[in-house]
Amino acid sequence: MNSNSNRIHYVVVYSLFAILLLPLLSTALYSLASQWGATILPDSLTFDWYIQLWSDPRFLQAFGHSVLICLAALALGTILTVPTIFVVFYYFPKLHWVMNILILLPFAVPPVVSSVGLLQLYAGEPLQLIGTPWILIFTYFTIALPFMYRAIANSMQALNLKDLMDAAHLLGASTFRAFLLVIIPNIRKGLMVSLFLSFSFLFGEFVFANILVGTRYETLQVYLFNMRQTSGHFTSAIVISYFVFVLIFTWIANRLNK
Amino acid sequence: MSYVEVNNLAKAFGDSKVFADINFSISQGEFVTLLGPSGCGKSTLLRCLAGLETVDHGNITVGGDDITDLAPQRRGIAMVFQSYALFPNMNVIDNIAFGLRMQKLSEDEVQRRVKEGVELVELNGRESHYPHQLSGGQRQRVALARSLVMKPRILLLDEPLSALDARIRRSLREQIRLIQQDLQLTTIFVTHDQEEALTMSDRIFLMNEGQIVQSGTAEEIYTEPADSFVAGFIGNYNLLDQQQAKALIDVETNHQLAIRPESILIRTMSPSDGGNYSAPIQATVKSSMLLGNVIRYRMEAEHGELVVDLLNRSSERLVSRGTALELQVNLDEIREVA
Repeated sequence: MNSNSNRIHYVVVYSLFAILLLPLLSTALYSLASQWGATILPDSLTFDWYIQLWSDPRFLQAFGHSVLICLAALALGTILTVPTIFVVFYYFPKLHWVMNILILLPFAVPPVVSSVGLLQLYAGEPLQLIGTPWILIFTYFTIALPFMYRAIANSMQALNLKDLMDAAHLLGASTFRAFLLVIIPNIRKGLMVSLFLSFSFLFGEFVFANILVGTRYETLQVYLFNMRQTSGHFTSAIVISYFVFVLIFTWIANRLNK
Repeated sequence: MSYVEVNNLAKAFGDSKVFADINFSISQGEFVTLLGPSGCGKSTLLRCLAGLETVDHGNITVGGDDITDLAPQRRGIAMVFQSYALFPNMNVIDNIAFGLRMQKLSEDEVQRRVKEGVELVELNGRESHYPHQLSGGQRQRVALARSLVMKPRILLLDEPLSALDARIRRSLREQIRLIQQDLQLTTIFVTHDQEEALTMSDRIFLMNEGQIVQSGTAEEIYTEPADSFVAGFIGNYNLLDQQQAKALIDVETNHQLAIRPESILIRTMSPSDGGNYSAPIQATVKSSMLLGNVIRYRMEAEHGELVVDLLNRSSERLVSRGTALELQVNLDEIREVA
């Protein structure tokens, strides 16, 4: 009975896994096929599409743009959120509810709506950011904020912040040194996990990138969109390359979480 | 000249007063306990001494220096917390070395003093363990070593044993006391546990509702409680009001009488010691509790309830519920309390 019901669970889980994996596998196969027309299986396998993709300077540039923007947004996020969370937890615990509302805002406004607002605000003087990578860096910071805030706040909550700071103070450390030597190392794991996960989903962001910047500073997703008219084998190669890259990042995040 | 002087110290959080008019002095090398129920202000008082809380009024001097407004880093005061407050990202050595490194001592000096600290609290062999790999007792010993290597002028202990189980608590209690006496370290210990206070301290300050209600040696506080609060908090005293005192043991009083449970004897069971005893009181056993070496009986007499402690010499003495007995109170050991 028990092993029977276990088997049913396994069947359900693996079927679901297979259904989710199927499009990916077929895309992967398609990206490796030289020709795949009227037959069940492709005529022959080739790495040509990947070679073509990874030697396309426009792709490499878009890839570089994406990496750069994501890293900059996350660096900005780290510099702004970590000290903020510390200050809220240590000095102003009463502000928790304000922070909780603040970090929900990026969820409350859909990207299409907020991108229209951003277009209005930053299209002209004095702050003309539309079409530059800067607008994406600042926007991505706001999308990543909820994830970073939650992960860091959870790590901070797990610490006995008040006693640790008191102990460090009594042992002669200034607040800044205590923060650097005691608090930062203890939230590092949560911070790293949130950074890797945020990187993964920022890397796949399309709406903001397309509306706010488009081809003026082409990112990976915009490049993929613009390549939609070319060979399906070629775009499959883009998707799989992107997927493997993100998979590696997510995997690292999971490893760190253990 | 006393080493630590606290004058007129007062502290309030907003409108709620934590303590006021706190005055005491402590000699060098003395082990003093702030004892009181939770919420009496003892922990806040300790945090004020450490500089972790500001005071509203009054001043604190140590060795003649006024430290009232100094930052905690500059007071030369070390503190051990109930939560241990070890740094989770550092092993035993780095935890103990933290304060020494903050003082920018040479690494040789740091290592030498860390080694001394580790030996003092008997943690040899655990140097590279992280806090989560240690038991509660070991963690608190690391915290103790971390404080001791700083060679503080005063050591503050904020309920350091409260999170530990009974056996570890007793052994660590003795270890702390031995180290404190060896180093002649001026120590202020905060606890709500009267047994800890009575066994460890040179002197006890008993606090209630933001006031020091009585101070003295363990014996003074135990045998001469100043008021009904002290009598109730220390040693399970029986408290009798005027009518009860008159009716039960025929003693006239204007206040209340405090009678220790061990100064009442059960006629048929306790050996007579020729003391000055009251006339027999008729009572029945309401409940009995075995406290190890002592059996505690709760007795119902006509005019009130009495708690009687009997030394647990053999099991024959265990009297069942409802048994009628005769009690006698040692009249030399009753105390009048306000």
